[in-house]
Amino acid sequence: MIRTVRVGSAAGLHARAAALVAAAAAGQRVPVTVCRGGRAPVPADSVLGLLTLGAVCGVELTLEASGAGAADALANVADLLSRDLDAARG
Amino acid sequence: MNTPLTRPVLESRAIRVAESALDREAAIHRCADVLEEIGAVDPSYREAMLDREWAMSTHLGEGIAIPHGLDVSRRLVRRDALAVLRFPGGVEWDGGRVYVCIAIAARGNGHVALLSALASILLDPDRARALREATDPAAIVSMLNSIEDGS
Repeated sequence: MIRTVRVGSAAGLHARAAALVAAAAAGQRVPVTVCRGGRAPVPADSVLGLLTLGAVCGVELTLEASGAGAADALANVADLLSRDLDAARG
Repeated sequence: MNTPLTRPVLESRAIRVAESALDREAAIHRCADVLEEIGAVDPSYREAMLDREWAMSTHLGEGIAIPHGLDVSRRLVRRDALAVLRFPGGVEWDGGRVYVCIAIAARGNGHVALLSALASILLDPDRARALREATDPAAIVSMLNSIEDGS
């Protein structure tokens, strides 16, 4: 199962944003991977993996997961990625 | 949306290879000292670095931390720059141990490209060890400046 999402954080997927996404991904029932362009996918629960994407605001990412709960896992991770995680902090 | 990425610059005068700090807070202060010394940040950037650190640890793993300010502290950055401080004895860091701090002063999106390059190094155990153990400022500069942008 595949889903695409655009990075919503104005400052891009920086260290803190990546840590928030990784923590959420680690809490899903199935593993989620994230891919940018044609590059190798990285595990969504890896802060370092997410950082290698070098994803600034607006970059499109492809999420993939399979098995029971995949749709929910993708929705949860995509929701975080699409938000401005700096604004959310208040 | 895809603004050009300019990577913060690392100069050898911003590298300290034999630091020591009693704790994480003291290490952050040393990082702020060096960023100030090279004229990259206003003195109050120090507080932003501490705030950011307490909000969430900047330890990336592999003994490397990346102290930096919050998004709202960008106005305190005079020019994009890095400082590298090596703590050979290590510093206790939120349950882990940090041996190298890469302090970041960045106004724009440039540090996302830097983080991408750095994360690639840290995911490669040999390169991560080389970065942790490097004692020659020139070698550290070339490791961090020669990598292709992650964008």
